[in-house]
Amino acid sequence: MRGKMSTIWQYDIPQIGGLGISFTLSGFRLLYLVITTFMWAECLIFSTEYMENEKHRVRYYFFTLATYIATVGVFLSADLLTLFLCFELMSFTSYVWVAQEESKEALQAAGTYLAIAILGGMVMLMGLFLLYDLTSTLEIGGLYEACQPYLGDTRLYLAGGCILFGFGAKAGVVPLHIWLPKAHPVAPAPASALLSGVLTKTGIFGILILTGEIFMEDGAWGSLILSLGVITMVWGAVLALCSVDLKRTLACSSMSQIGFILVGIGTWVLLGEHGQIALSGAILHMMNHSLFKLVLFLAAGTVYMNTHRLNLNEIRGFGRNKPLLKFSFLMAALGIAGVPLWSGYISKTLLHEGLLEYYHLLLEGTVAVTVFGPAAIKIIEWVFLISGGLTCAYMLKLYVAVFVEESRQEKVLKQDEKKRAYWKKSSAACVALAAGLLPLMGCLPGLTMERLAIFSVGAKGAAHTLDIPYFSLTNLRGAIISLGIGALLYLLAVRRGMMKEDSYINVWPAGLDLENLLYRPLLLQAIPFICTLVCRILDRFTDGMVVILRKTLYRDSPLPHELEEGNLLTHYVGHFLDMVIHGMNKTVWIDNQKEESQEHRLSMLYEAFSENNTIIGRSLSFGLFMSLAGLVVVLIYLLIQF
Amino acid sequence: MEYRLFYLTKDLPIYFRADQVGLLFFTVETVLWLAAGIFSLDYMKQEKHKARYYGAYFLVYGVLQGLNFAGNMITFYLFYELMTLLSVPLVLHHQTKEALMAGLKYLLYSVFGGALILFGFFLLASYGNGLTFQAAGILAGQVPGEKEALVLSASFCMILGFSVKAGMFPFHGWLPTAHPEAPAPASAVLSAVIVKMGILGIIRTVYYVVGADVLRGTWVQIIWLILALITVFMGSVLAYRERLLKKRLAYSTVSQAAYILFGLALMNGQALTGSLLHIVCHALFKGTLFLFAGALIHQTGKQRVDELKGIGKQMPAALWCFTLASLGLVGIPPTVGFLSKWYLAAGALESKILPFSWLGPAVLLISALFTAGYLLPISIEGFLPGDRFGEKRKKEPAWLMLFPILTLAFVSLLMGIFPGIITDQLIQIVGTIF
Repeated sequence: MRGKMSTIWQYDIPQIGGLGISFTLSGFRLLYLVITTFMWAECLIFSTEYMENEKHRVRYYFFTLATYIATVGVFLSADLLTLFLCFELMSFTSYVWVAQEESKEALQAAGTYLAIAILGGMVMLMGLFLLYDLTSTLEIGGLYEACQPYLGDTRLYLAGGCILFGFGAKAGVVPLHIWLPKAHPVAPAPASALLSGVLTKTGIFGILILTGEIFMEDGAWGSLILSLGVITMVWGAVLALCSVDLKRTLACSSMSQIGFILVGIGTWVLLGEHGQIALSGAILHMMNHSLFKLVLFLAAGTVYMNTHRLNLNEIRGFGRNKPLLKFSFLMAALGIAGVPLWSGYISKTLLHEGLLEYYHLLLEGTVAVTVFGPAAIKIIEWVFLISGGLTCAYMLKLYVAVFVEESRQEKVLKQDEKKRAYWKKSSAACVALAAGLLPLMGCLPGLTMERLAIFSVGAKGAAHTLDIPYFSLTNLRGAIISLGIGALLYLLAVRRGMMKEDSYINVWPAGLDLENLLYRPLLLQAIPFICTLVCRILDRFTDGMVVILRKTLYRDSPLPHELEEGNLLTHYVGHFLDMVIHGMNKTVWIDNQKEESQEHRLSMLYEAFSENNTIIGRSLSFGLFMSLAGLVVVLIYLLIQF
Repeated sequence: MEYRLFYLTKDLPIYFRADQVGLLFFTVETVLWLAAGIFSLDYMKQEKHKARYYGAYFLVYGVLQGLNFAGNMITFYLFYELMTLLSVPLVLHHQTKEALMAGLKYLLYSVFGGALILFGFFLLASYGNGLTFQAAGILAGQVPGEKEALVLSASFCMILGFSVKAGMFPFHGWLPTAHPEAPAPASAVLSAVIVKMGILGIIRTVYYVVGADVLRGTWVQIIWLILALITVFMGSVLAYRERLLKKRLAYSTVSQAAYILFGLALMNGQALTGSLLHIVCHALFKGTLFLFAGALIHQTGKQRVDELKGIGKQMPAALWCFTLASLGLVGIPPTVGFLSKWYLAAGALESKILPFSWLGPAVLLISALFTAGYLLPISIEGFLPGDRFGEKRKKEPAWLMLFPILTLAFVSLLMGIFPGIITDQLIQIVGTIF
């Protein structure tokens, strides 16, 4: 992407935010600006019906619009700092979507979403610090030049890894995917569509920038992205197949499709100069996935707003007599499953083509092996096809359950009988419009998708097409294999394994939930516990010293209190004698114990003494005695003097 | 602008001079003092001993001006001790046993710090007349080589002494005890302003007396950095575990003041800019948070964070301000808290003091995570109490209380969007020092 696109528009606001923010518009950004706007418009129109009877509507619309602004900001930002700014803003405003219903699950899912967003944001900020320290610039256009001297440097990897963590968390890459399957089912359907269709793409956008501007010629990075992509792709698809919740299946499907996109990006890096096809595939799949998820989530929303259920067993057969809904869902399902003549096929073919190309180049030796050898790439290719098969299987599962099978739920049946309109015309138009685009783009790839790809990637030289024979036998082979695997999986795994007594069993691997298994115990209990322990010790350190000093060196003197009897002398002497007697009692006088009452005895003596004193002092004889004494003193004085 | 009040000895004047650092502190103090003062009008209505409270409140403000505009160390020291003594009545206002003990603890710590400062001052006093403040320091080049250890020890004593007020480990103990005992507006100014006076003392010592060039790369800087980082971490973890709202905020102050100290310890332009900026934003944020806590106590009598479910339905405007200040304290863009953190981290990386150049930003971010953990749930549970939570009657505080909270929050928001107003000034200040 780098440097090949002409900038359409550039706008800097230096005084805002202290470090200045700047926006730019060029190929890919324009594409996503249009998609974002289109999706928001559709979802807002749909929301007017979906949210009609919900509480807190003002809040919902306010935060929807705020998120729109932030998201557009992400796609248009010309430097990483602006991107980060908008990214964080987007995370916080979209939080309200997830928490919108305020049910217990919603609040918990929202908590998870926010925690992941903040964690990702902070790690990303650390990455930005490190990057800025190395390159002294965060302007996306200038990153390539600035990073050249540091390629292969550990510090650059560290910075890149931190930033990848942040973007990956938003994109839902394993192992940071935990928020996706929880947040989507509880958010309002239009918000789910946007979360899945656009917000995850901001993460991908970030990874694209990171890859394109910094790690373009780095095989290790490419392999990392590729492996993350493969894991996410498979795991998401497996989870989706296991789920019996309509929206959760779609959420896991999002994860899996993000994996497909990452595989494209990884291949792009590995291919280097030859990577245009893989990149086009990745970008087109991004776009396609946005549209698929728009249609699918809005369809799911239609189901939910009529039945208030999402479990496949409860909504079974909802769409049997609803041709427009059925048509829309089918279009998106066929698209996402990669059936030829639908748009998903085109992007998946490109991704597949990229993998094959890399495989051939490796075999020829044109490209050096970095991490994955040709055999590994062949395996990845098969994993790719199998994931395509899984996609096909879970979409078939959804379609059959909702649109083909007979309903056994009275609610659905009753609703069917009433023939009440199940959605408004405006909502219907929204969904149908988006659904209609899919086969249109799939049938005319050269006119539509290729042009978009070349426009957003930037063409090399004068090439205006990618020269891919989409409907040639070799390319169709991949799709056919995938579809075959999908059909097989559906028949064997879903029909045989996941259905019991004609109802879908929940085989969701709750035990493998990383959040409850690892993150929550680790981040909410273990780490805070250890930190608190250490910090409490530090906290008490000074006060503890003071306490120890007061107990030892600086003992408080006892409050001076009145003695009950006797005076200080009798008190101390008596106390001393008592101690001696106590000691003797314990040692020498064991058989002949003496009473420890010397203190009392002495003070009694003192009392008697002072009483006598008083009596004497007040008596006449004492007075006479004193005057006599006086006379004697005077006499002695006179004798000495004279 | 300078003024010599009188001479203590022949060459030891009580000397005032207005410079930009002083003006910066003056502005922050005045805004906070006004806000908390207006807040007090309503808050203190039912309290006893109002005359004593307001008396001490205004006396401290007056003393602070002496601190801002002190032109040499002796003047600064005199006003510093005066501030300690005069702010004690604010802490033990309620006259309960706990409040008295808290007041005593505050006094004990402060006097200990004062003694350390005085000791350092005596050691340094032979250089330069009365340690008159001068940008970039007066000791550089004046100290003979063999006296270097002495100067370093003296500066360390002074830094440590001032850090008692700033709540740096191991002298942070008085903060979480004293702040919750004081009436809320008093804790707001204690936390937002008085704590900053220790920081002003350190700025004066390091950048206006000793000079960063003398200290850079010495053991003083290393130990200071270590203590500051420990404090950053410790404060936020303990705040995360604390259930009493005001005590939580006090621990948060410990952590946030240490951000500033960390920036000062790095001794370069970026970090100093970050520190000065953080002084301003922490004052605004913490002022808002403490005033919110006060409004909460006044309106509902609730003090513990686990009682705050649905508080956003009762006091929406106040909780919005609280949320805004929380986001700022966490450092989420586009609040100004993000910018100060950015400068601090950039300064740390620029300093190239291993391992602090990368450890610093990492600790700051981990602490930010904890900060998010101890502040955001309050807003979240306040606004989103769950669907089982019934409607509650509004209990928004009266205008006299709400207005200062709104103003502080608004100013911090404004600063977040247009920080240029203040960063330009800060960069000028930093320019005079480096």
